Amino acid sequence: MVRGALNKRLIRHMIHIWGQALAIMAVVLLGTASYISMSSAHKNLLLSRDVYYQQYDFADFFISLERAPASMVYRLEDIPGVRAVRGRIVKDALVDIPGVDEPRNIRMISMPERNRAVLNGVHVLSGRYFDEGVTDQVVLSQDFALHNNLQPGDRINVTLDGRQHSLRISGLGMSPEYIYVVRNAQDFIPSPERFGIIWVPETFAEMALDMPGSRNDFVGSVEEPERLDEILSQAERLLDSYGVFVSVKREDQISHRFVTDQIKTRDALFTMIALLLMVVSAAVIMVLLGRMVHQDRTEIGLLKAFGYSNFAIAWYYIKFALVMSISGSVLGMLLGHWLSIQMVYLYVDFYQFPEVQVQIYPDVFLFITITAALFALLGALAAARRAVKTHPAEAMRPEAPRHGHRTLIERWHFLWSLLGFTEKMIVRNVGRNRLRAAFCVAGVMISAAILMLGFHQMDSITYMIDLQFSELQREDVRVHFTHERNRGALLEMARLDGVRHAEPLLQYPFEIRNGWRHMDTGIIGVPENAQMTRLIDIEDRHINITGNGLVLSTPIAEKLGVHVGDVVRIKPLMGKITHERDVRVDKVVQQYIGTSAYMEISALSRILNEPFAMNVALLKMDEGTTHDLVKYLKDIPLIAAVELTAESYDALKVLLADSMIGMATIISLFSGIIAFAIIYNTTIISLMERQRELASLRVMGFTREEISRLLYQENVLLSCIGLVLGLPAGRWLCQRAVEAIDMDIMRMPFHLETSSYLYTVVLIALFVLLANLAVLRRISRLDLVAVLKQRE
Amino acid sequence: MGEVTVTALRDVSLEVESGEFLVILGQSGSGKSTLMNIMGGIDTPTTGQVFFQGNDLSAFSEGQLTRYRREHIGFVFQFYNLIPNLTAEENVEMATEIVAEPYPAIEMLRLVQMEDRKDHFPSQLSGGEQQRVAIARALAKRPEVLLCDEPTGALDLTTGKLVLDVLNEVNKKTGATVVVITHNATIADMAHRVIYVADGGIREIRENAKRIGAVDLEW
Repeated sequence: MVRGALNKRLIRHMIHIWGQALAIMAVVLLGTASYISMSSAHKNLLLSRDVYYQQYDFADFFISLERAPASMVYRLEDIPGVRAVRGRIVKDALVDIPGVDEPRNIRMISMPERNRAVLNGVHVLSGRYFDEGVTDQVVLSQDFALHNNLQPGDRINVTLDGRQHSLRISGLGMSPEYIYVVRNAQDFIPSPERFGIIWVPETFAEMALDMPGSRNDFVGSVEEPERLDEILSQAERLLDSYGVFVSVKREDQISHRFVTDQIKTRDALFTMIALLLMVVSAAVIMVLLGRMVHQDRTEIGLLKAFGYSNFAIAWYYIKFALVMSISGSVLGMLLGHWLSIQMVYLYVDFYQFPEVQVQIYPDVFLFITITAALFALLGALAAARRAVKTHPAEAMRPEAPRHGHRTLIERWHFLWSLLGFTEKMIVRNVGRNRLRAAFCVAGVMISAAILMLGFHQMDSITYMIDLQFSELQREDVRVHFTHERNRGALLEMARLDGVRHAEPLLQYPFEIRNGWRHMDTGIIGVPENAQMTRLIDIEDRHINITGNGLVLSTPIAEKLGVHVGDVVRIKPLMGKITHERDVRVDKVVQQYIGTSAYMEISALSRILNEPFAMNVALLKMDEGTTHDLVKYLKDIPLIAAVELTAESYDALKVLLADSMIGMATIISLFSGIIAFAIIYNTTIISLMERQRELASLRVMGFTREEISRLLYQENVLLSCIGLVLGLPAGRWLCQRAVEAIDMDIMRMPFHLETSSYLYTVVLIALFVLLANLAVLRRISRLDLVAVLKQRE
Repeated sequence: MGEVTVTALRDVSLEVESGEFLVILGQSGSGKSTLMNIMGGIDTPTTGQVFFQGNDLSAFSEGQLTRYRREHIGFVFQFYNLIPNLTAEENVEMATEIVAEPYPAIEMLRLVQMEDRKDHFPSQLSGGEQQRVAIARALAKRPEVLLCDEPTGALDLTTGKLVLDVLNEVNKKTGATVVVITHNATIADMAHRVIYVADGGIREIRENAKRIGAVDLEW
């Protein structure tokens, strides 16, 4: 009965301060929602991936080589622990699409003639698998077909090793091997218009590449993934004489790694934000309940005098916090679940899944609700402790008048004398409520830091792309040859119409080893004084590649633990040269996408026993000539792929623009709610505490505007301090975030544009203004008559 | 349950002379505070009119009322209502900032004999001292009317007398109209005129033929 009375009071009290309670709930709601949405989306995505992997038997290892007999499959299957192996013919090709000038790049993968369950199977979405015994039918990757207006029944012309083939599309499909469809690690964003997969009957592939009974790619699955390394090295030994290029474990497979890495990035970001929101909720609860206990002191004294236990009184305030936190969490669950579904579908735009799994994860819900409740409890504890410590007899007497005291700043008499009375009052008031002022400052600081975290995400990606295209890929057209060529090929390219300048590149796979640490990566041969591939060192200076030394990108240098001046051992992973060689690391360069190493092109050629070799030509074109050139290149044999840089750049920008705007909106919303919740709450509390003071000013003839300016300027002062601290704090947080995101394929550079600082300041100013406008309403409701009558 | 309407004042007609010392006397709940609030422009009558120097206050907007209070009225409250984190002098200065031709703060503090405590914060002052600072603050704006709501209500006898004496001095020296609201009948003896208020109406208006100095009051 009595307990019921306290509960009733709790509810009434909560309704009375609904604005503040709502602000706290909103903070908890967003924290819960951001965590749940991210975690659930993450889990659903992994589940979708794993279900897909299982249904279509995604391989555990991938070995690509020059050429080996198809019968090696049986030898490989004999390795203990191997479950199944499939031999394939894989080759990059060009496809000529009617109505499109430029040739599109495509990867051909051979499949068994009959549609049966095999490793890395193809899921046919429309049309059908190719008919048995027919060699000119193919299954095309669905996204590529959609972006190029191709349908089952259409014909396409595929150029393989310089020969053209007319093929009919029998169906559209997708495969677990290409959930994330990129050609290599350097193309880190899928471009469905420009790159696709084509699955062809084995007999066609054998015929087209003149490889009857041979394979150049083996994929396999194992019984125990823990023994993968051991199995892989056995397989490599077995295939050694067939010229193994690379052998890759599932964890290093490009599509797999991208899917996993990209989830990690956002996961880290959102977990950080969720945590900050929880901290803010605890702080706001602390301030609000602190004020409540203060106001309730007479009643607390009364309840104590009646014989209520300390626990009952503490529990009242804790319950207050828990009710706000848990109702925020429950609403957050709904929002979070809804957001997670949106997010999964957003991902599906980037990833190729046949079906998306959406499940509810009670453990995630429970975890974040409990975490939120713990933070709320933490916030409530200080207030509860103060309530418990209230002495009943003292509490029933009116409180002693508040003390005014001098602040530190007043020691500087000159400075102090410059201030008007409003400023003096603000300074003294901040000094009077130092804890609350600190919360205000911290709230703005966190809010600014979160904003910057969001902006940094955009700046970093933009910077990365700009760096890629303004320094590393300055060419207009990139032509990949099927084999290494000599200088003649470069001259041939340079003579083509519209080519202003042509530069060679030699890309070759190597193993780089430093003691026990090693990695397989491409070494890129770059000419001296290269104009198209400009490398930048860690101090932002352009560097020229000369001599015989090696230049490493930062991620490789870190992964191998080497510094400038160290010597590493390199070994070609392709061709006839197999001996190892020691080279000195000359420089370390900035690079965030892909993991490349660089060397002067002649030096690299010599390692391969050639005076000069190249397999890529970079072309700078005269204005408006690119299309004609590309059309012409379609008919030149021995070209494996043609890339238009501008096209890649534009495609990337368009693709990223949407997701960036969405991201920025969400982050701004989060940050806005934080700033609003803190400023609104502390100002309301300050208003409540000082209503007598402010009402007397109103009676004396101060206008409403003058009074609100008093509160407003205090907020502005605190917000400014918060901003001044928040900008470096945000910078620091961005640096930590960059470190926390540990990805193999790409790294986020730390990069903040000046405009991001500016936007942060502008948005924070806007949030503070909004919170102040919300308080303004309360000032006009100040009851002058009532306030003056009673004693505090 | 909806709002309950309580009629605080009914059929009140009153004229206050410029420069007079007026005491409004009544028990709590009699309506005297409402009367003063209406005179001070922090409350408006539901019916009827209030004139100040020929202007109808009852027709004033919120903004006009604020200006009226700012330019013409000085308030002294029962609980002083000084700003706790401003010193005595700063409290007075604050009032000087919102009017065109204020009295210097320090002069006002001298008038209420608080000059030597000007750097003290309200919490370091006694009740009577706080009230004298509050009077100085009200006066600094050079108001035509000084409205005092139970100015001695929270003070002991000696201090109360001191404060009333200050009010009397102010009335004499500045010529400001002083209206004191109180339930303490003794105070009435120092006024030019006394208004007796009860049950929301004026019961009696008495003119004091002979005024008694504040120091000689007994209660």
